[in-house]
Amino acid sequence: MQLTSEAPASFRSSADRPGPLGLVREGLTDILSRRRLIAYLVQAGLRKSGADTLFGNIWWILDPLLQMLVYVILVSVIFQRDQPAYPLFIFAAILPWKWFGSAIQDGTVSVVTQERLIKQIHFPKLVLPVASVSSGIVNFAFGLIPLTALILLFYSDRLSVWLLLIPIVALVQFLFTLPLAIALGAVNVFYRDISNVTRHILRLWFYLSPGLYAIEQLHGIGSRYPIIGELLLLNPFATLFGAYRDVIYNMKAPDWVALATLAGGSLILLAASVYLFKRLEPSFAKVL
Amino acid sequence: MADPLRQIDELSMDTSTPVAIDVRKLGVRYSLRFTRKTTLRKSFTNLLTRNTGEQSFWALREVDFRLVNGESLAIIGPNGAGKSTLLQVLAGIITPSEGVVDVRGHISSLLTLGAGFDQELTGRENVRLAGAFMGIAHSEMGERTPAIIEFADLGAFIDAPLKTYSSGMRARLGFAIATSVDPDVLLLDEVLSTGDQVFREKSKSRVLELVKQAKAIVLVTHDMHWVTEFCNRAILLEKGRVIAEGDPEEVVAIHQEHSVKGREAAGGAVLQPSA
Repeated sequence: MQLTSEAPASFRSSADRPGPLGLVREGLTDILSRRRLIAYLVQAGLRKSGADTLFGNIWWILDPLLQMLVYVILVSVIFQRDQPAYPLFIFAAILPWKWFGSAIQDGTVSVVTQERLIKQIHFPKLVLPVASVSSGIVNFAFGLIPLTALILLFYSDRLSVWLLLIPIVALVQFLFTLPLAIALGAVNVFYRDISNVTRHILRLWFYLSPGLYAIEQLHGIGSRYPIIGELLLLNPFATLFGAYRDVIYNMKAPDWVALATLAGGSLILLAASVYLFKRLEPSFAKVL
Repeated sequence: MADPLRQIDELSMDTSTPVAIDVRKLGVRYSLRFTRKTTLRKSFTNLLTRNTGEQSFWALREVDFRLVNGESLAIIGPNGAGKSTLLQVLAGIITPSEGVVDVRGHISSLLTLGAGFDQELTGRENVRLAGAFMGIAHSEMGERTPAIIEFADLGAFIDAPLKTYSSGMRARLGFAIATSVDPDVLLLDEVLSTGDQVFREKSKSRVLELVKQAKAIVLVTHDMHWVTEFCNRAILLEKGRVIAEGDPEEVVAIHQEHSVKGREAAGGAVLQPSA
């Protein structure tokens, strides 16, 4: 018989638990060696999201547009705010946030929803939250279609080469989202309350981030309440929205230092979350 | 203290018949602090009231056995005896709390057939997904797929989404996947009673074929006929401990004796309504 790619976890005892670094290395190998499984899971997830609707995958394009419309009506008609090219301004924030929000929500329940499978087959559970975050990439990419259309049709004066940097900003966002989804996915196995709470925290997080409004507003708050202003600027999504807005709306280079800092911090978080996940993983099958 | 890892390795070197499964002093403890759907509230109340009640229980304790290639072992026992937990440990799904489990070779462990299937994907895509979950290389799975599809015998349904399948069809596909990947060790949990008569015959002969190929099989079942006819060893588990081990006929006899006793003990109250 030809040997399979699986390194069979054939030998197990209660004694052989690797240390923190070993666990992190193990976790990263789990992810990298099971890329194909992650791809299949992403594919299955996408199939599901477009399966039962009339327009199917067209919704991936319509959804951010409709959401943009809601906010445009709310902010420019009701609140009477005047921001030039507001639809584009807001679209630059909606698109990444949709990815982040669904990745966190799906990632949180990614382990508990595969309960039956986890009790049947031995496989690295880390692929589950990773797949949740990854499947957002496809939706995000589809969202670039209406974005491009918006710019070409209505705001052709804002067409610039900086748009080509969107994938780099998205990569930083991916790095930041991944550890959060991994950690939440693991902890939610033990405390099912987490998935109830995340929805509300996400909403609050969005309103505290400079998505609907410009980052300058946060500076305004900072001059009145210095501490709160500082805290709001530390929000990773202040950096991410700022970067997206720079390359899409302001037609200039993003704040490289802030992006690099966020990427570096995310990598540390990633190591910590993989460690947490691997520590809790052996208990999943017992608790679920 | 001797290194337990090395000890096992030395032991395995000199055996003439290759050992497929080696279980020593296996214990699995479940923590009762985190069970299904623990909530934060419960944790807080436990913390506040300093809940010192029973915090854990042993699903398995002091389980010892060895299985060489070519053997097929039946695990029998009443509900809640730890049979499925034992299979989960052998499959690597649950880590032992104490003791050592050594399973040599490639394991196939679709314990309840078809549980990991995705409803939206077609049968063919599910075969691919199952292969990826089991960690089988893509190219190898590609080679095996035709045989799996042929054995499952689903006709045109193989390209229809799984939600259109009947439970029997699903079980057939699951069985086909679990046994077609050429496992060294096959773990089966109550799976032989699924499907129609024809498929049951087919799966029986398939299992016997695997036994003949010197592959080890561990089977959990309530079907005593299977145990006596097709297994050459049996283990009786009760309350997480091995009560009897050895010849299937004898172990089944002990099991039946015990369950009759159990029924008599509980019988009075249970049987009344139907009387």
